[in-house]
Amino acid sequence: MVNYIFDGTFDGLMTVIYEAYYSHQHPNDIFSEINHQINFLGHDVFVSTDIDKSNKVQHAIETKISNKALRNIYYAYLSELESSYMLIYRYIRLGFKIGKKIDYFIQNDIVHEVTKLSQKVRHEAYKMIELIRFKEVKKGLFIAKIHPDYNVLPIIMPHFAERFQDQYFIIHDEKRNLSAVYDKKAWIITDIPLQDISNMKDTEDYEILWKMYHKSISIEERKNLRLQRQHMPKKYWDMLTEKQ
Amino acid sequence: MDLLKKIRILADAAKYDVSCSSSGSDRENKNSGIGNASFYGICHSWSEDGRCISLLKILFTNICIYNCSYCVNRCSNDVERALFTPEELADITINFYRRNYIEGLFLSSAVYKSPDYTMELLIKTVKKLREEYNFNGYIHLKAIPGADVNLIRLAGLYADRMSVNIELPSEKSLKLLAPQKTKESIIKPMSFIHNQLMEKSESKKLMRRTDKFVPAGQTTQLIIGATPESDRTILKLSENLYKYYDLKRVYYSAYIPVFNDNNILGMTSPPLLREHRLYQADWLLRYYNFKADELLTEEEPNFDVSLDPKINWAMKNLNLFPVEVNTADYNMLLRVPGIGLRTANRIVKARKAAYLNYDSLKKLGVVLKRAKYFITCNGKYYGECEIETDKIKNKLLPKRNVIEGQLSIFDIDNTLNNLPIIV
Ligand code: SF4
Repeated sequence: MVNYIFDGTFDGLMTVIYEAYYSHQHPNDIFSEINHQINFLGHDVFVSTDIDKSNKVQHAIETKISNKALRNIYYAYLSELESSYMLIYRYIRLGFKIGKKIDYFIQNDIVHEVTKLSQKVRHEAYKMIELIRFKEVKKGLFIAKIHPDYNVLPIIMPHFAERFQDQYFIIHDEKRNLSAVYDKKAWIITDIPLQDISNMKDTEDYEILWKMYHKSISIEERKNLRLQRQHMPKKYWDMLTEKQ
Repeated sequence: MDLLKKIRILADAAKYDVSCSSSGSDRENKNSGIGNASFYGICHSWSEDGRCISLLKILFTNICIYNCSYCVNRCSNDVERALFTPEELADITINFYRRNYIEGLFLSSAVYKSPDYTMELLIKTVKKLREEYNFNGYIHLKAIPGADVNLIRLAGLYADRMSVNIELPSEKSLKLLAPQKTKESIIKPMSFIHNQLMEKSESKKLMRRTDKFVPAGQTTQLIIGATPESDRTILKLSENLYKYYDLKRVYYSAYIPVFNDNNILGMTSPPLLREHRLYQADWLLRYYNFKADELLTEEEPNFDVSLDPKINWAMKNLNLFPVEVNTADYNMLLRVPGIGLRTANRIVKARKAAYLNYDSLKKLGVVLKRAKYFITCNGKYYGECEIETDKIKNKLLPKRNVIEGQLSIFDIDNTLNNLPIIV
């Protein structure tokens, strides 16, 4: 029994799965080096990321289990929960055993946990798609700041890149110090710090109009703040122009 | 007049139209322009009344030549008036959209000068958006009652969805409260849109590409509680609209008495709970294969507002229960209170993988609190009381006193206020 350590990337995690299968060394636990202190007792194995091996594992998951399973695994991974790595490992093992049936096997605890985690991540990604607010900080350049619980940038970027094809924009994850940058052709996620992002402001005109719209469209006789909060959790209010 | 003031007046005047859905269209972002439509719709904010804001829902103007007595914008009412230009409205839409405030525009209007003149202004605005700004986001356009069908056809080529509001559930009420509108002025555009849609779907089979005509179909709205129609009359009307006009949605709007008028039935607060029950029943018609006649009868033409219509139906048909979750067919599963569409689908799939036990039902999403009185699992009944109407009813009725209108303490898990994402 060994502990596998990887570099924290998805390809790294998939490489761990590969090694665990081919060396027949089942993991005692799996850690990302970002969070893990090296253990001197000698049970740690560092796995260096290998794109080919990662691709092989992903391909095997897609063909021998299902597309949906691969998506669940990726989303669960983006939760960044330390406990998710072993959970993913167990899920994949089960998947290779029972195949496509895993998609319906929700009464199983491992499947239930992975599905739940994947749903939480997807849910937050969806909330970001709804609630991100851009500011036009320079003519033609739009910036949004977010601080999601999970690492959802890779999930939401395709949506915004498709939608705002004719606009330069950046979505900055303040919690992880990551920026997704789109240049009207393609997008990348980078941890290169952006200059002065904190004090950039919109021209305000449209922000004022939006706030006025938001207020006027509400019906006083139907006031229901609880319901509003249910859909727009308080933890995101600092992102919202209409809540400033 | 400055823009801020126009927005204040014309958003305020548009707020009683309940539809804000941006679903049903998958318009793509062509020629690297701006925007696309998401088939399931996206909400971007929620106002203080808890309703979703998906589209910039606004009137072009609230200056009206008509005098419908249920409406704040009627010409005899003394309110502030405003009028946009197509340029202003297109500019606001684009700039809101670029900031991710909205999915698109829901443009309606009072009848300014004439129905045709108003319709032309709306068309000018959306034409500008589509052709000058290269905007491919969602557009919902109101068909102005009485406007020429050729204008409606033109409008439909720019819009994702159109709607003609019926507002009053019977011709008699219409005559009484909106004497300048006729049943014909409402039904004609509605059936015109319907026919166009049928034609287009026919010609699509022949040609590879035709111009899309309102790809997200049409909807309408009924006002609840301003006139004496029963729930049964309303629900049967909706059933027919779905059946004969293929409407995507019928919206129900609890009448909010904003002013005194002799025509109106001395109402004081909006019948929100009744509205909620109608939405639930409407849902049962569209997705659960119920018929209006199963839900309401001539003897009992109105819902018991304290009970969910599905539970209400189950209570009256206890002889059909309990059903065995491991073997019951899909349609019967759908009729079990506490089992929704998604849950029924999951059950059907999951039981292929393994026999279901009581614990696994919860993981599948069954609301056991309600369902347990109506099911057996492996032959065992978990409803800790006999299958009798009164006993079950006793257990299922909410413990707290529900005051009409206070939806927040009631079963909002039915996602009523978040409908747009579900089509
Ligand atoms: S035509 Fe429309 S805006 Fe004018 S009074 Fe009637 S309902 Fe109101």
